[in-house]
Order: sequence, then C-alpha cells, then structure tokens
Amino acid sequence: MTLTESPSLLIAGIGEMVLSSSPDSHLVAYGLGSCIAVAAWDPRAKVGGLAHFMLPSGPANESSPVKFIDTGLDTFLKAFQAKGAMISRSTFKAAGAAAMLMVGGGLAIGKRNAESMEAALKERGISLTATALGGNAGRTVQLEVGDGRFLIKSLSSMVEL
Amino acid sequence: MTLTLSEAGQHAVAGTFGRAMKRAGEALGSMSGQVIDVQTPMVQRCSASDVMAMAGGPESVVLAVYVGITGSLQGHALLLFSPADAHRLAQILLAGLLGPGELPMEESTNVLDYDELELSALQEAGNVTISAFLNELGMHLHEPVMPTPPQVVIEMAGAVLDAVLLDLVSDADQVLAAKTTFSEGGRDIDGSLFVLPRADSLRVLLDALGAIGI
Repeated sequence: MTLTESPSLLIAGIGEMVLSSSPDSHLVAYGLGSCIAVAAWDPRAKVGGLAHFMLPSGPANESSPVKFIDTGLDTFLKAFQAKGAMISRSTFKAAGAAAMLMVGGGLAIGKRNAESMEAALKERGISLTATALGGNAGRTVQLEVGDGRFLIKSLSSMVEL
Repeated sequence: MTLTLSEAGQHAVAGTFGRAMKRAGEALGSMSGQVIDVQTPMVQRCSASDVMAMAGGPESVVLAVYVGITGSLQGHALLLFSPADAHRLAQILLAGLLGPGELPMEESTNVLDYDELELSALQEAGNVTISAFLNELGMHLHEPVMPTPPQVVIEMAGAVLDAVLLDLVSDADQVLAAKTTFSEGGRDIDGSLFVLPRADSLRVLLDALGAIGI
C-alpha cells in the first residue's frame, strides 16, 4: 500500500491500492487479467484512488489490503475518504475481470469478480459510471488525479472512460 | 490447506523440479534441433507480486503457452517468450517441419502478429516441453501427472499470470514458484518455464521423495 503524496506515478500492484490528492499524480495498475481495478475520483477535492482487487471473498489481509472485494472494499473507501474525498460526490469506474485462460477447468473468476464488485458497491449505495469489464484481453489502467480521466490500454487499443 | 514447507523440503522439491526442468529443456532442444542451455532453476516461496517480477513485470508483453497440471500433483505451468524470441523459435520449428524450401520467410512488421502455423508450432513446443517436465515428475511420484490441453496467448505477463495466481492464493499469501531460463545462444532465443504447484498437492510430492516432516 502506498499512501505517500509523492508526485507522478503511483503503482497499485496486485492486491494493493494507491491514493493521492496531488493533481499531478497518475495512478496505475499494470496487466490486469481476471483481476478487477476500481478507480474512485472526487472532482471537488481532486482526490483519486485506485485499487487492484484479486478475488471476490476472503479474510482481511494486511500485506494485500485489497486482495478480496468483500473485506477490502471498505478499506479502500475509508482510505479514499481519509484523503479528503466524499463518496457521494465521487465517480467510480471499474476495469478488468477478463477471461484469459481456462484455469482449473473454467473461465469464471473474472466474471465472478465483476459480479461481486457490482454487488458490493451497490450495497454501499455506489454505482459505477463507466466500466471496461470482461472480454479476453489484458488491460493496463491509469487514473489521472488532476482531471479524473481513466485510461484503459490493451495491446491493441487505448480508450478513455 | 496451506502446507508449510521446511527448508529441507523446499530443497528436495527444488532438486526434483530441477531434474524435470532439465528434461523439459532437452525436449525443446530435440524438437527444435538446437542446443538448449537450461539454467539451474530458482525455486522459492514468494508473493503474487514477486511472481510478476520474475516474469519481467506485469506490463511486459509475452507469448505464453499455458498448461494446467492435473493428477496426483496439481498446479500450473507456463512457457514464456518475448514476442521477438517466439518468432525466431517458430521459424526454426517450422523450418524443421516444412523443410528449408518451404519456410514462410515473410517477416511481419508487427512483432505481435503470428500466423496460425507459427502459433500452432509454438503451442506444440510448449506442450512437448511441459509434458517432458511432467513425465519426469511422474517418475519421481510413481503416479501419473497429466497436462491439460495447451493454450497459447500473446498478452501482458500480468494478465496471463493473474488467473493462475488467483487459483493459488485464495487461501495463502505465498506461492511456491519454480523458474528456469532456456537459452539458445546461436539464434538468441531465451524463454522461461514457470511451474506453480498447488500447495495442498505438494504433500504427495514430499511423500514420494521421503521428505515429509523435514
């Protein structure tokens, strides 16, 4: 977990989150496959957060605070609010949850991640304003804290949500 | 269930994996008609992020052949090449199969473009390499270890590895990762073989090696 105010690039590794209230920060999660990244941005406070979740459910985990959606989402939301963000005026976007390989006889983990994330956010009264979920391509995502742009790069394209 | 592997147990696993990885390299060498140098494998317990780093970082683009491991030992095996090295290997494999006069010499300008023949040759290379690893392992286990059908993808390493890691880390923070590097000096081809066993099935291997409880 990185909670520093250092400018420019902050990377959310697998199971990690990054947050910043510095407008020149870029929050990045590289190479998402079945994992799911959630980007939160408060346009008034100019605070951004990016969390790189791995799985739908499991026990709270200190070394990977956002490893699991059910126990990690509140950790992420609290850290986002602690930076000065207000949930009610923030936008939430999600990307990832692709089906890359038939692992263990199924492709379902990405889909389960997407469903769990949507349900967990809904329980907390939060809806996603834009998503790039599913499919079978890997994604690198980047949240620009200065203006809230959420960029999704795959090997073949780059789009902005 | 998480199996805590002692240093001696890890050493025993590393020795067996090392021999099996050597066989895998020999199989790739015999298929390609090249001399393949196999590095001593690295076997270590590590986090999901460490596995990404071992593969060159989550954003590095790879051609990956994935084979699931089933039977008495379960887990995952991946043969990874950089896109350029995969092209060179495919050309060598196809030259061997088709004969020199029939080699499709057209070089694509995009290193991420592969034709069906190339992909099929690389998929088979992964299959042969990983099957050789599993056959050797099966001999130590005295029980069969089976591969799933190979899958080939060209993707960011993170995206390829995360599905595999998600299968392993739901009840553990660390995975046991074995990695070796194959290289063919003359044509400048480097590849890496990753084997990630499920922790709960390692007991079978430790039993077979007489290393349980050490």
